[in-house]
Amino acid sequence: MIRFVVRRLVQSVPLLLVISLLIFALIHAAPGGPLSTYLENPNVRPEDIERLRKAMGLDRPLGMQYLSWLWAFVRGDWGFSYADGRPVLDRLVERIPATLELIGVACVMALIAALPAGILAAVNRRFDRVSSIFAVAGISLPVFWFGLLLQLVFAGALGWLPSSGRASFDGGDFVDRVAHLILPATVLAAALSAAWSRYLRRAMRDTVARPFIRAARSRGLSERTLLLHHALPNALPTFVTVVLLDISMMASGAVVTESIFAWPGIGSLFTEALGKRDYAVLMAFLMCGSVAVMVLNLVADLAVHTLDPRTRDAA
Amino acid sequence: MKWSLRSTLPLALAMTACGGGDTARSPKATGDLLTIGYDREPDTMNRYATHILEDIESCVVEGLVVNDEKMNIIPVLALDVPTTENGGVTLRPDGGMDVTWKLRPGVKWHDGVPHTSADVKFTVDAINKGDWKPESVDGFDRIASVDTPDSLTAVVHYREVYAPYRLQFVRGTLPKHVLDGRNIDAATDYNRKPLGTGPYRVVEWKTGEYILLEGVPDYWRGAQFPKIKRLLFKFLPNTTTRINQLKSGEVQLVALVPWDKVRELRGLPNIRLNQVVGNGYEHVTLNQKRFTPFADVTVRRAMAHAIDRDLIVNTLLDSLVTVVNGPIQPLSSAYEKNVTSYPHDPSRARALLDSAGWIASADGIRVKGGKRLAFTLITQSGFAIRENVSQALQKQFRDVGIDASVRLIDGTSISSIWFKGDFDAMLHWWQQGADPEMTLFFASDRMPPAGRNINYFKDDSLTAMLYASDRTADEGKRIDLLKAAQRRLSVLIPELPLYNTAKIDAVPAQLQGFTGNPTNAGPFWNVYQWQLTPR
Repeated sequence: MIRFVVRRLVQSVPLLLVISLLIFALIHAAPGGPLSTYLENPNVRPEDIERLRKAMGLDRPLGMQYLSWLWAFVRGDWGFSYADGRPVLDRLVERIPATLELIGVACVMALIAALPAGILAAVNRRFDRVSSIFAVAGISLPVFWFGLLLQLVFAGALGWLPSSGRASFDGGDFVDRVAHLILPATVLAAALSAAWSRYLRRAMRDTVARPFIRAARSRGLSERTLLLHHALPNALPTFVTVVLLDISMMASGAVVTESIFAWPGIGSLFTEALGKRDYAVLMAFLMCGSVAVMVLNLVADLAVHTLDPRTRDAA
Repeated sequence: MKWSLRSTLPLALAMTACGGGDTARSPKATGDLLTIGYDREPDTMNRYATHILEDIESCVVEGLVVNDEKMNIIPVLALDVPTTENGGVTLRPDGGMDVTWKLRPGVKWHDGVPHTSADVKFTVDAINKGDWKPESVDGFDRIASVDTPDSLTAVVHYREVYAPYRLQFVRGTLPKHVLDGRNIDAATDYNRKPLGTGPYRVVEWKTGEYILLEGVPDYWRGAQFPKIKRLLFKFLPNTTTRINQLKSGEVQLVALVPWDKVRELRGLPNIRLNQVVGNGYEHVTLNQKRFTPFADVTVRRAMAHAIDRDLIVNTLLDSLVTVVNGPIQPLSSAYEKNVTSYPHDPSRARALLDSAGWIASADGIRVKGGKRLAFTLITQSGFAIRENVSQALQKQFRDVGIDASVRLIDGTSISSIWFKGDFDAMLHWWQQGADPEMTLFFASDRMPPAGRNINYFKDDSLTAMLYASDRTADEGKRIDLLKAAQRRLSVLIPELPLYNTAKIDAVPAQLQGFTGNPTNAGPFWNVYQWQLTPR
């Protein structure tokens, strides 16, 4: 087990290197740069742009910029934001709690909806039909559209919930924070719960159709025991893998949701950094994202390993 | 769209049970608090280093001067605006210029330290020292030294005549007693909570969420100012979210409402739309270097006649803006009204193209020497009105045999594309400061990277006029030169001017004293006067 984890970690080092090179190349291939925002401003003279380019080190060859970034990065120096000059690490760290809060709550909401819906849909045809309509809607709703719609209804027309932000600036008590969380977490959870319930339904269906379930049923076990104690544990490993991988992918959904709801997390920081071509923040964000995907992959493997006794000998 | 309460009632009950209810709404605008929906989070609150509008900063840090809603430059921390007439500006025999700034007595920084000429000198020295990253050093790089004969007089010695000197300290001064000897880029205390002399100070900057300002108790204009106790700037980058919050009352003021959102906001009871004529103009830039047919003035004139600007303004822009004929806008003292204009006249346009040897081919597009009169018009994506206008232009050009294909490009990419000259034609605007200088945009030697002459247009006589205007300290003479330059521009028409950029701010109906501002000085220039009257 430990050897497995160590091996996976060692394997990830060259992979991360390649990823970092790819990301660096990609973000520099996009037109524009950190100085683009200055160009529209008539106060900023061409001489100023040249001066700032030098001061920011953007006049150096790209290869050198990459190597100096990499060398600093591995030593824990993530550099300074091109946009506001503050340390990149500070800018990321101050944003992480908000994103974790949002993703965490959205995951819990999605699980609460997906678990019963998935199980019920596997065994009840009528419920399956109804839930599939919601699932298709949930999966196909564009996040930005759904988010704006919820804002219009619940903040605009009805005025029950705040349309954006993490807390009122003079409120900030528990109730206020929950009120602020509801809309963005709902948007984020909608697509997830829809997809997850379908995965679980599929996995449960496959399991229910297998001979050991028929055998158990013939022994006179109740449907409830069959489903929850025999079918579900067998369907769970596939489901858990999907959930864990989806959580790492959730960052992309969070980018849009956070921007619409002015949620002060790393997603909205990413949008801002992308617009300003803040290379330092973009590199750090994308590298953290890559590491998160790798770690969650590993966690998914370990979770399956724990949940499914058949995989234990193989590892 | 109407939403029936019945269909949403069960969900509503669930949510009120969760505690949404009344706590959801921010307090309504009161005399105590005004909440502003702001389109971005500032990079820094240091006015000299920021590269976005200085709206929030200008509530805290005042300039020696500011320009008002009519673009008059009026003194703030200075007693007067120096001119040759009042003796504030003198020309030296060596070709240089001395500008004497008299500071307002009795002004203190928020920490109680007096604001003096030493701060003016420190600001110039700090910017010219070059060990940090101010956004622009324009004008400062022409200052040889600053003398401070007394604590309220700063004499600025320019190496050469610098016509826009009046706006040199529009961004105020840096406090010497706080920043002396420090690396200003790293002075986070100042850059996040700058020390100013203005009506407000920063109480809290919550990253990603808001900046809260609070009125200072002993503002130099008198204890009755500012009238609104606190200003809350909420960062809402998504335009639709910002407008939704305005409608729901969560924010009460949104500056620079996009033109295509104005209809949505009209008629809302708590909101007044304040409109001023902006000091900027939308136009089509014609890159002569990349698409050589634009180098022919007859082709450019034909294109100008092909465009129905009145139709565009009256339909797509809901008559929010007015048609203009040149780069200097009506509010400017240097504005020249009597210029050559090009009314919509397609038959004239066709005749001009015929005379220039561009003959219609089988598909209707004109051809000369095997080259088709076909180019790509780029413009910013996600800017709804611009996307529509570019399509209207495409149709109007097509009617006279010119083929323009439209390409939409995101805002960040488009700046680097035009800076490199990698485009044929571009629909965009320039937003200008209060000073009418145009050299950077039209002088022959100001093509990128040396400037923003992205028409790549050359005219020696125009260039001479522009440089002469920059090098005169006499306001009247300067204006004459700039007016002559506008007349010349209208004859040569290197770019196609379309319309003025109206600035529309949505403010609470009960807000008094709000005037807006045509320039990037922004609507907060007179925030100390604003007052929310109970209704």
